[in-house]
Amino acid sequence: MPTVMAGPRTALAMRGLSKTYAGHLALDSLFLRIRAGEIHALLGGNGSGKSTTIKILAGVVTADPGGELVVGEGEPVGLHDWTPAKAQAAGLRFVHQQPAVFPELSIAENLALGAEFPRGLGGRVDWRALNARTAELLERYEIHASPKTPLAALRAADRCRVAIVRALQDRDDADSGVLILDEPTAALPAAEVEHLLEALRGYAAAGQTILYVSHRLDEVLSVADRVTVLRDGRKVDTVEAEGLTEADLIEMIVGRPLDRVFPAAPLDSTDDAALTIRGLRGGPLRGVDLTLRKGEVLGIAGLLGSGRSELLRMLFGAYPVEGGSVTLDGAEYAPGSPQAAMKAGVAYVPEDRQAEALLSGESIRHNLTAGQESSYFRKFLYRHRLERNDAQRSIGDFLIRVVSDTNPVETLSGGNQQKVVMARWLRRRPKVLLLDEPTQGVDVGARAEIYQLIRRATEQGTSVILVVSEPEELAHASDRVAVLRGGRITTVVERPIDAHKLTELMNIPQVAVGEGSS
Amino acid sequence: MTTRSKPRPETATGELPAQRAIDDPVVAQPDVPVVVAPGDAASRSVAASAGLLGTRILRQYSLVFLLVASFVLYSTWNKTSSVFLTGDSLRVMVAGQAVIGVLTLGILVTMVAGNFDLSVGNIAGLSQIMTATLYAKHGWGMWAGIVAGIAIGGFVGGINGLLVTILRVDPFIITLGTASAILGFIDWYTKDQSIVTGIPAGITHFGRNNFFGVPDIVWVLAIVAVVIYYLLEHTPYGRNLHAIGSNRAAARLVGIRVERSIAMAFVINGIFAGIAGVLMLARAGAGNPQIPPTLALTALAGAFLGAASFKVGRLNVPGTIVALLFLAVNITGLQYAGVANWINEMFTGLSLIFAIALAAVLSKERSVKKTRKSA
Ligand SMILES: Nc1ncnc2c1ncn2[C@@H]1O[C@H](COP(=O)(O)OP(=O)(O)OP(=O)(O)O)[C@@H](O)[C@H]1O
Ligand SMILES: [Mg+2]
Repeated sequence: MPTVMAGPRTALAMRGLSKTYAGHLALDSLFLRIRAGEIHALLGGNGSGKSTTIKILAGVVTADPGGELVVGEGEPVGLHDWTPAKAQAAGLRFVHQQPAVFPELSIAENLALGAEFPRGLGGRVDWRALNARTAELLERYEIHASPKTPLAALRAADRCRVAIVRALQDRDDADSGVLILDEPTAALPAAEVEHLLEALRGYAAAGQTILYVSHRLDEVLSVADRVTVLRDGRKVDTVEAEGLTEADLIEMIVGRPLDRVFPAAPLDSTDDAALTIRGLRGGPLRGVDLTLRKGEVLGIAGLLGSGRSELLRMLFGAYPVEGGSVTLDGAEYAPGSPQAAMKAGVAYVPEDRQAEALLSGESIRHNLTAGQESSYFRKFLYRHRLERNDAQRSIGDFLIRVVSDTNPVETLSGGNQQKVVMARWLRRRPKVLLLDEPTQGVDVGARAEIYQLIRRATEQGTSVILVVSEPEELAHASDRVAVLRGGRITTVVERPIDAHKLTELMNIPQVAVGEGSS
Repeated sequence: MTTRSKPRPETATGELPAQRAIDDPVVAQPDVPVVVAPGDAASRSVAASAGLLGTRILRQYSLVFLLVASFVLYSTWNKTSSVFLTGDSLRVMVAGQAVIGVLTLGILVTMVAGNFDLSVGNIAGLSQIMTATLYAKHGWGMWAGIVAGIAIGGFVGGINGLLVTILRVDPFIITLGTASAILGFIDWYTKDQSIVTGIPAGITHFGRNNFFGVPDIVWVLAIVAVVIYYLLEHTPYGRNLHAIGSNRAAARLVGIRVERSIAMAFVINGIFAGIAGVLMLARAGAGNPQIPPTLALTALAGAFLGAASFKVGRLNVPGTIVALLFLAVNITGLQYAGVANWINEMFTGLSLIFAIALAAVLSKERSVKKTRKSA
């Protein structure tokens, strides 16, 4: 029994942390203390300053002068000359919101870049040892891939997991330092989230301190010891997680109580089919039959690798179709390219925002317009003012927190980038809208707003196919949910939809024909 | 959901202040929102933003400042002041930049979409010598020759574009290949003979005449600049090129015809190289099979250097113009100062290195973009 009464040790503490971006105060005199061995969750709305805090800790963003930082038993140091090397030496390990993984390199190389290449004779890279070590790590973290696979060949979720493994790889036995994760689960399906959380609990139990950012409140409550909430760059409070409810957290984050129930569907939705899919095959899909009714939100529930994303991509002409037929509004629909799909009135928000949706380096305004430029070009003049007005309207409608719409899109916080991508497509009033994880990284308040906007679109005749990993959210947001398993639609669940039921339906092990009768 | 035992000796309301003073080595500051004196945050923010604004302006216009500084230097330096600031010298200086200027502006079109064209110099050389041949050996009229020269540029650009988009090989390698093939062709076709007679007088006059005190070919450069600026910033096509350069996969998924746009960019690039070729002929008054080997690299240097000003980190027309003037002023100034001719290539080479280093530094600040681009 420990008898020391002086409370838990401090693993990491900072004081007076401020950051100004081009006249905009992103963090205001933040005070934060992480105890040794705890899992500390950092919460807050989009743009509240979570990633900024973490980037400052990592030394990749310079804080305004005046802030101080203490790691473990060390002396206080000024935060303005904190560097990545110092952070590394102090035992801080990071997985950033946009992890800096190198898509064209192999998994083994990506991991080695985070630690060190094992060396053989004469300093050459010992590839065999490297591959063996990587294989072992992949095994331990249950990533089913060979060490030599290029990262680009993995899907978003696995790329994210590799980034996590990279940060964790040399921290197996250390109980000093802090592991810092910025929305590690935003792109992960629910089943994998549980895996990851399990791993985090394991590390904490072994004495590892963890600072952790997430918008998934259930997950926070299940794993965190203490919670700090930020709002507009200021700390709202730090509280014990024990006994808290999601509603408490939402109130702290948003500043007011919020009804988490998403707007319900109008009951009189018609039986007219917007999209009829018959026997669609290709990739992991082995004959999908599905009907999307006009004006409904049809959820797709399925595990990682079930072919959810591929289904959407096929419908958008961005994935090869091997067979089957699709009709759109009664006419045959077989888009050979995204242009053809768009012409037919189909829109698609891809799962991987960074790699497939954002035009980084381009302004927010240009990102909103992307693909629609010709509608502003009349009589040989580009109507910039018209474009700006539309951009302003979308920024207002979608509650995007921007300083100016001419700033590069990468200066937005992650959730706000996602809203830009959503707005890009929703404002076109598509006939059919295909959404793959549309709310990843979006805070609770804005998430409800986004579903409201989707609802408003369906009232005007848009039909939506929605892929969301979190069963709870899927159940709330959909009118019907189709369960995709083994390359086919196994069931369609009507309202009222129960999240637990969905999880069960997705997870039933595949039973081969002829088995199980004895 | 798994619950974990929480052996922390604390309540939800936090610890006693005294305890905190012991366990918290930073300060005995309460774990509650820090109250900031009114005006404090605001004044801090204003001060910081003033500093930021300062560095931003400095960065945006650094090349303009350097241009003005070099200009003042050569106008006052006793070694150069007597000749530098005369109308004739300025005219010669700017006219000398017209050919490379048109090439540089043309190459922007491919570069914006994330591609390179190392063959522009040789395309210009080809259309120059072919136009001269059409005049001298086949008796073509002045305008027919000009159109043919420009069309040849567009044609070779089209070949580049098709190779790049169909074979999906790095444009760097493809255009290096076509550049060398063009040289071989010129060698074979001209048997290394210059064409000095039979060039229409109209075209050589055009190369020497002034219009409102400004050389005719500089007017051409100005028109080209306006056209490229319009194309890149004020047409849907230009915006699509920017999108492709930023994120090709995303561009495809918003319905941009990526391959077609890139192939088109090479054609446009070739057309402007063709125009540059005709200007070369007009200035020299003769067809020359010896193509200066550094044309394409100088164009690249100009474009990269241009990306360091105005819209920092983004290839842009005004920045490119300033970069071209900067190179011209310094090369001319140093030549007047009596430095030998080699300074021309030396200065361009160093500027290229400087520009690319700068681009690397700037892109590190936007590292997300770079790592994703290759995906
Ligand atoms: N490079 C930048 N330039 C200008 N402003 C920036 C930059 N990076 C972040 N900001 C601004 O700082 C604020 C805080 O951003 P931050 O990324 O820390 O938010 P966040 O809490 O992580 O949000 P999210 O949940 O959406 O990821 C935002 O208003 C954002 O627009
Ligand atoms: Mg963030």
